[in-house]
Order: sequence, then structure tokens, then C-alpha cells
Amino acid sequence: MGLESILTAAFLVPLLQTTLRSTTTLLLTALGGMFSERSGVVNIALEGMIIFGALTAAVSAQLLEAPYLAENPGARIWWIPWVAVLLAMVVGAFIGWIHAVVSIKYKADQIISGTAINLLAAGLPSLVLAYFYDNTTASKELVNRLPEWLGFSPLVYLAFALVPITWYVMFKTPWGLRLRSVGEHPEAADTMGINVFRTRYTAVILSGVLAGLAGAFLSIGVLNQFVRNMSAGQGFIALAALIFGKWHPIGVLGATLLFGFAKALAIQLGGGDIMPPTVIEAFPFIITMLVLAGFVGTSRPPKAIGKPYEK
Amino acid sequence: MNRVWLALTSVVFLLLLAASPWAVALRAFGGKGVLVTLWGTLDLYGRAKALPDVSWLGYFTAFWVALALAAAVAALLPEARMRARLFYAIGLAGLAVFALEAYLFYHAVWAANDAALAAGARRPPLKRYSLSLGAYASFLYSLFLLAVGRLQLPGGRALLVRWRGVIVPAVSMLLAMVAGAVVVWVLKDVKMPEGSGALAYLTAKLDLVTYTFQLLFGPLLTASGWFQSLLIATPLIFTGLAVALGFKAGLFNIGAPGQLTIGAIMTMLVGVHLANAHWFAGLPDGVARAIFLPLSILAAAAGGALWGAIPGWLKARFGAHEVINTIMMNYIAASIFLFMIASNEYTFFGRWTLHMPFKFPGYEARSYEVAESARIPLMVNLFGFQQDASGAWTGALSWALPLALVAMVVVYVLTARLELGKRLLAALGAGVVGYFVGGFLPGIPMELSPKLASVRLNGAFIIAAFAVAFYNYYMWRTRDGYELRAVGLAPKAAEYGGVSIARKTILAMAISGALAGLAATHYVLGGGIDEYRLKQSLPTNVGFDGIAVALLGQNTPIGVFLSALLFGVLLTGGLQLDLQLGISRELVMMLQALIVLFIAAGGFLPRYFTDPILAAEAEEGVQGVI
Repeated sequence: MGLESILTAAFLVPLLQTTLRSTTTLLLTALGGMFSERSGVVNIALEGMIIFGALTAAVSAQLLEAPYLAENPGARIWWIPWVAVLLAMVVGAFIGWIHAVVSIKYKADQIISGTAINLLAAGLPSLVLAYFYDNTTASKELVNRLPEWLGFSPLVYLAFALVPITWYVMFKTPWGLRLRSVGEHPEAADTMGINVFRTRYTAVILSGVLAGLAGAFLSIGVLNQFVRNMSAGQGFIALAALIFGKWHPIGVLGATLLFGFAKALAIQLGGGDIMPPTVIEAFPFIITMLVLAGFVGTSRPPKAIGKPYEK
Repeated sequence: MNRVWLALTSVVFLLLLAASPWAVALRAFGGKGVLVTLWGTLDLYGRAKALPDVSWLGYFTAFWVALALAAAVAALLPEARMRARLFYAIGLAGLAVFALEAYLFYHAVWAANDAALAAGARRPPLKRYSLSLGAYASFLYSLFLLAVGRLQLPGGRALLVRWRGVIVPAVSMLLAMVAGAVVVWVLKDVKMPEGSGALAYLTAKLDLVTYTFQLLFGPLLTASGWFQSLLIATPLIFTGLAVALGFKAGLFNIGAPGQLTIGAIMTMLVGVHLANAHWFAGLPDGVARAIFLPLSILAAAAGGALWGAIPGWLKARFGAHEVINTIMMNYIAASIFLFMIASNEYTFFGRWTLHMPFKFPGYEARSYEVAESARIPLMVNLFGFQQDASGAWTGALSWALPLALVAMVVVYVLTARLELGKRLLAALGAGVVGYFVGGFLPGIPMELSPKLASVRLNGAFIIAAFAVAFYNYYMWRTRDGYELRAVGLAPKAAEYGGVSIARKTILAMAISGALAGLAATHYVLGGGIDEYRLKQSLPTNVGFDGIAVALLGQNTPIGVFLSALLFGVLLTGGLQLDLQLGISRELVMMLQALIVLFIAAGGFLPRYFTDPILAAEAEEGVQGVI
């Protein structure tokens, strides 16, 4: 494959599709992270939440479909993937709740708490997989994946639809205003009668829900099984996209599209001899660092971010 | 801490005593045991030929119930001093009775074995016997009562708070173990004999959980287990120190995996390609060793320092948060690592081809072997043992290392009047003298067991010990270290005091990275991954384990050393866990994660354990009465 082969439709169309798919995970996660961070809680646990969501979706879908498949191999039951997605969101919410309890109620260092959840996500899935499948690296492949509408998973549409919705919620509703005020100046918000703790709990749990959704997209939307460490740093990249996107839905959309494109390019170039794949795989991470170093303008975080609120 | 807690603990203790196995008379491979309980023997193994006589257990049960009741009475006494005395008395009585019980149990087991041998059995029928959860619970309950006694007296709570550096990690560790027990309980089923009831099932489950932790801590009981644990602890000491140094300077270095990787690459470049270069071929062995071994070690530190300094610089210069940057650099380091050893030929844009000399021919992604002159010797070699032609490890236990250590400590203690730098120099000199004198002394001839000799514990452990000493010296005895800690505690105050935060950030990240990079010496130069090479299986995850090590050790030198050793033990025990019970070693990883989470939450203890200001108030307060 030479340079000229890049500029053909056979290369560009899949590139576009892959870009949208890899953006979806990042976008869902980053929009969720935005709620958490706008409320003043750093959420580095996004990575772990994706992994738990992916694990839950893959395992629950496989267990749900097993009795049907025993009767009719290849049975397609429409509700199974959706229940799995729902469960992934519930587990994501639960993980978010843990992060919230430790960092809001017990006033832990939010970065350490998040790191602990990421470490947990590196260890616990193996135990769960060993329990269900006698295998510590991957779950059993499943038949009932998420459907595709016009070539894309419904979650792809949902992710992009969430951009204006989040924008509306965050900037045009009273709840969004309260959320932002809690992240900027919790004392002032408290004086105005806003329940700081409850707002933060809600926001962190919401970020867990969306990250769980992103995980479900990875395991039963893109693939048909859970593979160990399948998120491969996307939670962290989403966090970087959040910073790059200045904690704003539109900015986040742009940032995740950029990172998604970098990743898609890496995938599309992977087979050829344009660049060694090991070099290409490092691209999104290098771009993230360059972005964070502020080569593209400064971004101001919510003022009270990372600080536990003392009543 | 109040009466509710005392009552709750007593009830939990009595329930545990009733339901759990008190001891295990026989444990078969695979975990099935013959359980001795207060209400009889539960034989899950099914083929026990002999049983110990534990008919006395009933009397002791009555004693423990009486003890718990006495504790309840003690709590109701009006005067604090009386309460304290009574608690001390019953706590000590509990400990004494526990010791008596343990003695009686082992005696009964030996008697049963002797009887079977006398009757003509070829080997003792009871093996791998031990006390179990019920006995452990009575021991811990006695200790708990002693602690409660101390808490009755004035200053009791202040004492607890003063020891918060130990109590918070210990409580977190205990909670993590409980959570781990729940996970094992849920994920692992036990096979019961036909017709056994719910209580027997409960006992069997409790035995499973107890056995899990017995296996995890099992390496503490054997010499080879200790050796293996020290082997696994060596890289954890480095990465633990790296993270701890970062924390002390107010930085969170999650980049230890990447720093280790780059350190490994650099040490590979020096140890393989520089030391094997043809223009050094004529050097005598001793000279080559004196040049290339230190150079390779320094290269590892330099590689890690570079990879740590970059995010430090990015933070100092652009304010980019070090957490995300170090994570990104982990992934980049992993890419560089694969790029170097996965292939020797890369094509760019279909036109230009890059040739590299690093990958060893063959299917596996690995480098060439490290030159003899750059290898770190195994610990057994350092102690004067060699493998002879028949494969046995024989030799004389050399006095060199022990004498060097003793000389260093003695001189360090004796020169207390001197300035610190001179003291250290004198101690180091004494160590060298001790090493050579010890080397010439005749050693103790002995042969090592193959199991012990097969553990590849190497000299990197000594480097790790020096790194601990360095961390202690640098952070608490030098001006730079003082300034780093000042930046970590109160950046604004430090800056006002004339400390450049930007420079300190870069410095701290560089030293932290260097410590993480040194872990590579263990893997590459010391043959920690079975070969003296850089291999794809380089376990970079120990960089993340360093976070748990640093937090559990509360960032103190001795704490980091001990918690690295603890994780070494647990990970070594994890191998047995996999082998015997089929529970994945990842359980230890989960425990690590939970320890980090719980320590972050201050062990769920009251705020005065974690908040420095409240702690100071609690330490001064006199109303330490529960």
C-alpha cells in the first residue's frame, strides 16, 4: 500500500465509519465525566467504569441468551442486548456511587479514589471471568449483540444526540445551573439552599451510567465479547478530551472527534506499510499530551474541582 | 469506640467461634480438610484414617463464653481504672488460654500420628494441620480486650490517634481482607458430603475463606517462601518508593510502569549493546564488570528519570496535570518498547526501511542476552554458593555480606557525634572493609535445597535496600528533601520561603522516575524474568502496584519496605491459591485495589484519624474515655 492508496474511497469510507465508532465510546464517557467534573469531583475512574460496564454487558447478555441458544443456536432475541445495556448502566452507576461515597462522604483524595477503582477494574474482571468461563482473559462470544441501524449501532446515534441534550441540561435548566454553581463555589451554592452533597452524588453517578453505557457499546456493540483491558486507556483519553474541550459539550464533541479520528487512522493504517502499527498506536496518546500542554489554548477547570466540600 | 462496639465485637466473636472451624486436623491437596469444630468433626476429605483427641475443647468453649460475659460486666463498672484493670486481666487470661489450647491441639495431633505410626502406618496420617478461624478469632478477641482496656484510661484515644500511621493502613487492610473473603465466598463453591446441614455448609465456607488467607500468608512459614517473597518484593520496593516520593512532594506519579519500561530499554542498550561492543572485547573480566555493571544500573535510573522528568516539566511549564500525562506516557513507553523488540525492520510510507539491531532472532519478542559483565549476580552466588556439575548448590556460606552489614550498622551507631555526611561515608567504608574481611574468612560449608536455590533472588534486592536508605536520607536529612516535602505540604508557603516550585516539581518527578527505572535492573540485569534479557513479558504492572505499596506504607521508608514485602508474600501465596483452590491470583490485585480505596477513605475511621488538625486536637484532648 503506497501513499496514493490513502486517497481512495475504499480507504476513506471505512475511515469515516471507524472514526464515528471510536468517537462514540470517548464521547459517551467524556459527556458523563463532564457532569462529574462540572460538579467538582475529578473522575479519573472513567476508565474503570467503562471496563465494568463492558464486563457486565457481555456477561449478562451471554447468560441471558444461553437458555435460548440451547434450544435454537443462533436465536436472535431483540430484548437481550438492551437488558444487558441497562445492567451495564446500573453497574456503572454503582461504581460511580462508590467513587462518590469515598470522595464526597469520606473526603478522600479524588484521584486516589479513582485510581483505586481503576486498579479494581484491572483485577476483578479476571475473577468474574474465571467464575463464569474458566478463563481469565475473555468472556464467551455471544450472538445477541446490539443491532445496527443504517450501518451503526443505536448507541452511536445516542452519543451524538446527547451532545445537544447535555448542552441544554447543563446550560438551560435550573438543575444544570445548580450543578455548575456547586462545582464553582460550593459554599455560595450551599448558602443559596442547594444541596451540595446530593448534587455531587447525582453527577458522579450519572457519569458512571454514561461510562457504563460506553463500556456496553465496546463489548456488545463493537465486539461480541468482553476482552481483558478492552478499553485500553479510552477512559483517560476521554478525560483529556474533556479538558481539551473546556468542559463544554461542543468542545468535547470536537475533542473526541479528533481523538476518534486519530484512533481510526491508526486502525486503518494498521495493515499497511505506511507506518509501523506500534508507532501509530502511540498517536492518540502523543496528541493528548500535546493538547494538554496547552498548545491549543488554555482551558479553565471548574474552580472547586478536586476539593472535598466541608459543610 | 463505645459499649455498642464492644457488645457487637463480642457477639461476632461468639458467632465465629460457634460456626467456624476451630482447627484443621488434616488438609489434603486441593483444599479439602478435616475440620475440628466445637460441635464435632466435619470430614470434608472423607478418607481420614486418624483423628486427634480434642475432647477437651468443650471446657474451653465454656471459658470463652464466660470471658465474653466478663467483658460485658467489665464495661458496666463505674470507675475507669477498675474497668481498665478488669479488661487487662481478662485479655491476658484469654491470651494464656489461647496458648494452652494451641499447645494441646498440636500435642493431640502428634499423639494421633505417633499412635498411627506405632500401629504400622507408613507415614503420619495427619499432615498440614493447623489452627483455624475459631482459634484465630479467640486470639484476636483477647488482643481486642487488651486494647479496650488501654482505651479506658486517660489518653487512650490520643494514643490511638498518635498511632494513626499504623492504624489506618491496618484497618484498611483488614477491611480489604473481609471484602476479599466475601468475593471468595461468592465465587467459589464447596462440595459437601451427602446429607450435611446448613451449619456444616457455613463451616465449610468459613474454612474455605480461612484457607484462602492461610495460603496467601503461607510463604511466611518457609525459607524458600521468604526468598520468593523477597524476589517479588524487590521491584515493588522500587516502584513503591517512586510513588511515595511523588506523594511526599505533592505529585501523583502513576507513570511508574512507563518509567520502568524506559529504564529497562536503556539498561538493555548499555548492558547488551555497549557491553558487548567489539572495541571493549579485550578488557579483563574484572575491569569490564567494574565498568559495565554500574553503568547499566545508572542507565536504568537515567531512563526512568528522563521519562519522569518530561511530565514534571510539562506540569512546571504548562500546568498540565501530571496524572494524565504520566498515564499517556505509560502507553507511549509501551509502544516504544514493542517497537524496539518486536521487529528489526520497519517500513515507512512504503518507501523507507528502518533497520534495527535489537530484536533477538526468532518468534518471541525479546532482546539479546545481557553481557556477562553487566549481569547482577544471584543472591546465592553473593552468599558464596555455586552450582556444581551434578546440579546441586554447594559452597560455604560467606561472611562477606553479613559482616559488611554489621560493620556498617556498628560504625553508623558509634559515630553518632560526627556530621551526617561523614557518618555515612565512614559506615560505607566500614561496610567495604567488612565485605572483604568476611570474604577471606572461612565460611560455613552447606548445601542448599534445590527449592531455595531455584528462587532467582538477585543482587537487585541489595540495590533496593540502598534505595530505601537513600529515600530516608534524601527526604528527611537533606535540604532538597526538606524543600520537596515543604512543596508537598504547602506549596504556597514553600514558594514564599524561596523554593522554586517549578524546579522542585521537575526534580521530584525525575528522582521518582529514576527509582521506578531502577526496578528494571531486577528484571533485565538480574534475570528476574528467567532470562538475562528484555522480554515482552516485562511485568510493567508493578508500577501500578507501587501505588498500593506507597499508600499502605504511608510513604515512610520502612513502611514502603514492609508493605512491599507483604505484597511479595501475598503474590507468592497467590500461586499456591491458584494451584490448590483454583482461585485466580488476581484476588491479590483486587485486595491491593481495595486497600488503596479504603486508605483513601481513611479506613472509614472517624475524621480525627485522617484530618491533621482534628488529629492534633484529639491527641491533646484528655477525654479519651470510651
